[in-house]
Formats: sequence, structure tokens, C-alpha cells
Amino acid sequence: MSLDLTATAVFVLLFLLVTWLGFVAARWRKADLNVLHEWGLGGRRFGTVVTWFLLGGDLYTAYTFIAVPALVYGKGAMGFFAIPYTILIYPILYLVFPRLWAIAHAKGHVTAADFVRDRFGSRILALAVAVTGIVATMPYIALQLVGMEVVIGALGFPAGGLLGHLPLIIAFIVLAAFTYTSGLRAPALIAVVKDTLIFVTIFAAVVIIPARLGGYGAIFASVPQEKLILPSPTGQSLGSYSAYATLALGSALALFLYPHSMTGILSASSGDVIRRNAAMLSAYSFILGLIALLGYMTIAAGVDKDPAFAAGFTQYGANFAVPALFLSSFSSWFVGVAFAAIAIGALVPAAIMSIACANLFTRNLYKEFMRPDCSEADEARMAKIVSLVVKIGAVVFILAIPQEYAIQLQLLGGIWIIQLLPPVLLGLYTRSFHPMALLSGWIAGTAIGTYMAATQGFTSSVYPLEMFGVTLPGYAALYSVVINFVVAIILTPLCDLIGRSGPAPAAR
Amino acid sequence: MTQRQPGAGRLRYWPRLLFAIPFAAILWVPSYNRMEPALGGIPFFYWYQLAWILLGAAIVLIAYLLETRITGATARSRAGLETDGAPGDVL
Repeated sequence: MSLDLTATAVFVLLFLLVTWLGFVAARWRKADLNVLHEWGLGGRRFGTVVTWFLLGGDLYTAYTFIAVPALVYGKGAMGFFAIPYTILIYPILYLVFPRLWAIAHAKGHVTAADFVRDRFGSRILALAVAVTGIVATMPYIALQLVGMEVVIGALGFPAGGLLGHLPLIIAFIVLAAFTYTSGLRAPALIAVVKDTLIFVTIFAAVVIIPARLGGYGAIFASVPQEKLILPSPTGQSLGSYSAYATLALGSALALFLYPHSMTGILSASSGDVIRRNAAMLSAYSFILGLIALLGYMTIAAGVDKDPAFAAGFTQYGANFAVPALFLSSFSSWFVGVAFAAIAIGALVPAAIMSIACANLFTRNLYKEFMRPDCSEADEARMAKIVSLVVKIGAVVFILAIPQEYAIQLQLLGGIWIIQLLPPVLLGLYTRSFHPMALLSGWIAGTAIGTYMAATQGFTSSVYPLEMFGVTLPGYAALYSVVINFVVAIILTPLCDLIGRSGPAPAAR
Repeated sequence: MTQRQPGAGRLRYWPRLLFAIPFAAILWVPSYNRMEPALGGIPFFYWYQLAWILLGAAIVLIAYLLETRITGATARSRAGLETDGAPGDVL
């Protein structure tokens, strides 16, 4: 592939616009950015519309836009589980998170670990929450780079080598610089551009491409029949049905426990902003549903068999499906717009994720264990530096380590992050759980969830659970968090007993 | 049952029971894992789930409107913080 000059010019132009916005954002709703909640939560002042753009840009990442259609392209109906997943997240957002926001706002919490620390009075439990958040987010940031790498490669830049990685490195230096200066204001402002570009691209795609392929009927007719619906379960197994349902439910329960989701939610200006967004954010889910169908359009258009794209598919695998479809369907300038949408779509979540990790590190490791007496300005300075370190780490990660590891770690990240559900969810409604019981639950859930993924060679998070002679293949995250809850419930009265009979009352 | 002030008590959260509907519909996979009836060439499996994105949003919106407009609960009490500045323990 040679470099597509028109597409690259449009791409670079849009990228420059976003860079400018990222730096200008420091002066937007001006405040003292040397205070952590101003830098790291945008001062908790984002209204309904800004929050809609910010959370939309945050949760529907570039990796999602590349990986979901790639999954549908490769695995058919099972890959569509992302749709029921995004349907279930909004009732959960509505039920749980306005209350968390209200408590965090009243008590000045910046992270989920702050909240858990305050509710259960345990530094160790808070440390477990913070470390889980950071560890689960790091590979997620690295995967945003994968999305960016695919579109940069599809523009015709040479793959591999220092020259091949140069555009990616430049993009990340830019990202690091404006995150450092502007904090959460930068991705909030850039998200407006990103989301607009995504909406334009996808509306064009779902109108233009089916028209060229002879309509949706023709697209679905060209997909092998066995891919279109889930295989019916056979024998003593619930087969794909339980897998599909548990993947959707487990992913939905895990999503808002991720530090970047938490940061997006806590930056809202009120609980009602979150409630309104629980209804309005579904617009992005609908777009994601249409994007998922691009996987089938790739099959119908036959671009995977086109020799012009053979090199791309060899290099990037199924992740090349959407870029190849766009290259074959759009004129050059619009390819530039579409690819810029995906690349900028990587910047927004990567910025928020690195801010979220920086908040966690600063609040719950640095201030808690290293410098309890640090000033507000020290705290904000530390967070800015950590946000840089996190991004350098992500770039090194993706350049030095095979991509499969990033994908496997992200899969494990989902299993690890859901283990925060008991302390966060229970903490919203009661303090009667013992922190050591919650910590034991976290250890048990993390260990068993990791073991379940290990039995599948870390390539799938669907574990074939045997119960009463029936096999229930299901999402390991959901199974392991049930164990986590059970351990916390059983051990709480035991820990209370030990605490009462011990020499000193347990610090609660 | 005694007459309550508007917005008082746990009862005002009843609109949230509506959320059981999308959960039941979505998690009951065999109910929609089929090709027919297709809509404009799109198999049932796909258009049904796409339609549920819109239905789910409508249900959340209805719950929000019922809670804010009809029961007239304040933003503070909707967050479960009606008693004092500190977060109340529900359980």
C-alpha cells in the first residue's frame, strides 16, 4: 500500500485541530488547575451535554469501534453481545451512580478507592481497589493504541520499525502534553469533535455501503447462515445462550467500576446529570450496533478477499476489517475523516484513563502511604507527572510486547475490575460489612477468576461451569464475583467475632 | 398504609422496578435467537436487539420523568441523602 495523500492530509488537519483544542481547554471554565479535583475531575462542573459527549467519548473507545465489528466479522452472532451489554449498562448507571456521585461530592472523593477507604475505614482494602483499577486500566490504554495503529497503517504508512511507529509516538506525545496542561478539560472538549466525526462517519457508512452492496437483505444473505444466529445448545449444556447472557451482564456490571468510567461520572455537576445521561447515552449504543454490522458488510463487500488489502489483513488480522471496508467504499477525503474519527476516538479514552490512573496513584498510594502531609499543589503536580508515566508505559507496552498479551491482559482486566463490585456496591448502602471480609472476597474472586481464564489458556473468558450435571458456559468475571460476594457475606460475622474478642477493637 | 408526603419513603422508587423489563428481555437469549421474522432483510436477532437499545432508553427516560415530575422528589432525596449531609445507610 502506498500513502494515501488526500486521506492523510485530512487526517493530519483534523488531528491538528484537536491538538489545538486540547491546549485551549486549559482556559475553558477557568480554574486553578493546581488542585487535583480541578485537573482530574474538571472541577465537577460538567453539565448534561458535556457529560454526554465526555462519557460517550470515554466508554465507546477506538478499540471498541475496531474490535466489535472485527469480532462480528470473525465470530458472527456471538460478537454481537456488545449490544445487550450496552443496553444493560444504563439502568445500572441510573440505579447506582447518582448515589455514588452524591457521596463523593459531599466527602470530596476523587476515586473509587477514596470512597471505599471512607466507607469501610480500611487503607488496605482501599489499596486493593486502587491497584486493581490501575492494573486493569493499563492494558486498556495500550489497546487504544492498537486502534490508532491500525488506521495509521491503513493510511499507507509503512508498518513496523521506528519509522512505522513514529506517527503513533508523535500522537502520544501530543496527547501527553495536553493532558498534562489541561487535565480532564482536554478530553471533554475533544470528545465533542470525536463524537461528531463518529456520528457523521457511521451515518455515511450505514447509508452508502448498503446502497452499494444491494441493501441489508443482500448483506445478511451473503453471510454464512451458521454465523447469523447463536448455535442452539445441545445435550446437558446451555452452550452459547448462557455465554451470551453472562458476557452481557458481567461486562455491564464491570464497566462503571473502571477508573475511567468513574472519573467521567464523578466529573458531572449533579446526580440528575447522570440520570439524564442514562437515557441519552443510548444514542451511542445504537451507533455501536450499526458499527457491529460493519463486520457483516466487510464479508458482503468481499474486501477480505481483495488482494489490495491482503497485506493489511496479514498485518492486523480481523482488526483490519473496518479500515479495509472504509478504504474500498469511501473517497479519499472521507477516508481521512473516518480514520481521524477512530484515531481521535483513541485519544479521548486514553487521556481519561491516564488521568484516572494518576488520580488513583496520587490519592490512594502516594498521599496515603508515602506523603500523607503533601499539599494540594503537590498532589496535583504528582498526578500530572503520573499521567505522563502511565502513557509512556502504554507506548512501551504496545511497542515492546506482542499484541496478544495486551488483549489477554485486557480480558483479565475485566475479570479483575468486577471484583470491586462488592466493596463499591455494598458500600453505597451499608457499612456493616467487615473490610477484611471484603478483602478476602476480593482475593478469592481475583484468584478464581484468573484461574478460570487460565484454564482457557487466557484466550477466552468463557468458563464451562459444571453444576448439577449441567454445563453452564459463562463469563468468568460473573462467576468469580459471585464467589467474592459469598466470601464477603460469610466472613463478615466471623471477622466481627474475632474483632470483638481480640485485644483491641478493629479499626473500622 | 398511611398517607405519605410526596417523595417520602422508599415507595417513591417504584419507577425503578421498570428496569426489570430490559434485563428480563435481554438475558432471555432463546426468546430472540432466531432469523424470522426478518425486517427489511435484517434477521430478527439483530433488529430486535437494536430495537431494545431504543426501548431501554425510553424506559430509563420514563423512570426519570416519573421520579422527577410525578413524585416530585428533590434531587437530594433522589440520591438517598434526605436525612442529613452524611450519606445515609440504607441497610
